Amino acid sequence: MRGEKQEDSAQIQGISPIWNWRTTFICAALLLLVGLLAISFGPIHLHFGEIIKTLLGMHGGLSGQDRTVLIDLRLPRALLAALVGAALATSGAVYQSVFRNPLADPYLLGAASGAGLGATIAITNAHGDVYSLLPIFSFIGGTLAVLTSFFISGKFFAEPQSLLLSGIAVGSFATAIQTYLQQRHSSSLRPVYSWILGELTVANWQIVTWSSIYILISLGVLISISKQLDGLMLSDEESFSLGINPNRLRMIAVAAATLATATAVSASGLIGFVGIVVPHLVRGITHRVTNRNLLTVALAGAAFLVLADLGARTLLSPAELPIGVITAFVGAPFFLVVLRRRRTL
Amino acid sequence: MHKRSSVVLIAITAIGAAFTPSISHAATTSPRRIISLSPSATEDLFAIGAGKQVVAVDNLSNYPANAPITKLDAFTPNVEAIAKYKPDLVVLQSSATKAVTVKAALEKLKIKVFFEVTPSDINGAYTEIQALGTATGKGVQATKVITAMKTAIAQAITSGKRSNPTAIFHEVDSTLYSATSKTFIGHVYSDFNTLNIADAADTADSFGYPQLTNEYLLKANPQVIFLGDEQKISQVASRAGWSRIEAVAKKQIFALPADIPSRWGPRLVDFYQFVAKSLMSIK
Repeated sequence: MRGEKQEDSAQIQGISPIWNWRTTFICAALLLLVGLLAISFGPIHLHFGEIIKTLLGMHGGLSGQDRTVLIDLRLPRALLAALVGAALATSGAVYQSVFRNPLADPYLLGAASGAGLGATIAITNAHGDVYSLLPIFSFIGGTLAVLTSFFISGKFFAEPQSLLLSGIAVGSFATAIQTYLQQRHSSSLRPVYSWILGELTVANWQIVTWSSIYILISLGVLISISKQLDGLMLSDEESFSLGINPNRLRMIAVAAATLATATAVSASGLIGFVGIVVPHLVRGITHRVTNRNLLTVALAGAAFLVLADLGARTLLSPAELPIGVITAFVGAPFFLVVLRRRRTL
Repeated sequence: MHKRSSVVLIAITAIGAAFTPSISHAATTSPRRIISLSPSATEDLFAIGAGKQVVAVDNLSNYPANAPITKLDAFTPNVEAIAKYKPDLVVLQSSATKAVTVKAALEKLKIKVFFEVTPSDINGAYTEIQALGTATGKGVQATKVITAMKTAIAQAITSGKRSNPTAIFHEVDSTLYSATSKTFIGHVYSDFNTLNIADAADTADSFGYPQLTNEYLLKANPQVIFLGDEQKISQVASRAGWSRIEAVAKKQIFALPADIPSRWGPRLVDFYQFVAKSLMSIK
């Protein structure tokens, strides 16, 4: 209770530079730990000491097929999971403060439905190697959907609610077309379905490289403006008095969060709930307004998804469990708790 | 669920643009540790005498009974789980999730890949058997298997061929997906001089597997119904309004044995013989 009081006063004062370094450090350590776990477990047994030696480039590391398994199969997959987790969690936290809505998630402005439509168009029209085109199409679809939401709401951020509503409308529209296409091409049901549930299977260095560029740039922008973002929790007049231009700030924040989300979605499909669970978890642990903890949120999101992916590929091994199933299995009950607490507040 | 996925399976595989299976590297010595991630290829391998070289097959490869069935998934192949068996040849379906990426990952692990593209007709099935023979050092046996199949199928067609066209309906699943004459399944029926009622319902988007409606079926009034979805004949006959269909009224509904219509291996002979026997028994 006392923590909440403090948080309230921190909110009113707006920009006190408190950062819970300890939590950030713990999350970083956690990420390192689950990262090591993720690359240590798999159907093929690799000696842990040799894994470490290989990673550090020391003598006596893995060689031959084992080395390929580590370097070309496990490592890119863990890295991609970390990148996607960080992107989704951070975007979620940012959307939540921009829209002043604790249940906002990175897919709110139509990014998910737009990307889904793009992916379905790629799958239903491409012959042969579908998966080389899929990321580009879903990236374009997601970005276009968000831009459309902006365009339709017109007033941009004069009223966040109108953007939110137009995002929902654009999302439904994209989903309608996507469902229609999918029904018309019953042959594409399986690939579309597995994409919608999210998948990190056979991640390779190429995907890791291009997605890391966009995601790291977006995260850099978001973390650098995180202090000002807290000002958005106040009314616009109060933000102005603190020297913040709320509309411009929201614009930058949403653009960066959308870029990160669209990249994450195009690399891994639709992975739900990370953007809601992780920010609330970090908020709950630190008792601080999210944005000052954006780096912590990013690290926690990365750790969460790396762990979820470890579950996805080991629980039913050798079959893969869609990672979206795991995140939603943890996320949905958590979401309900947040809802319930919000009602009693 | 199983049947749903088999519709999708058949349909997906039918879109493949190229029809010749290809092997990534020229085989120098015969592979000794083969993994088959295709039920049809598993049947082929055992029929041509390469069964002893097979160390693992996917979880749907249920025939022949002595195939080393594992939990390996053919649709979402797990590269590391495959590598664990230390295979020297992997048969991979081109319709598997991210097949091209999986193939590249396996090749990076120095494992040869037989990339199986689903054939669109029986000649494609023969081509695959021959290619598997070449890849496994059983070329001569493969040729023998093909010759025997051709003979048996020709006999089945002679005995069951209709003198006047007979309207048939092949049910792929209970939501009335069907297969037109241009599909692999449809070719089998058209060889017997039958009229496939699904042909008229085919559109550009259905890739040979249109979904029919109850009304369409009543209007088309097939004389014979083949069930490819393991439905019970009595249940099909009691569907609303179906008593007016000639095939139902004359009790000319035939349930194909499990898996027979969805595999393009040596048991195609069974498929042809079943159709022949069924058509011979109708009035």
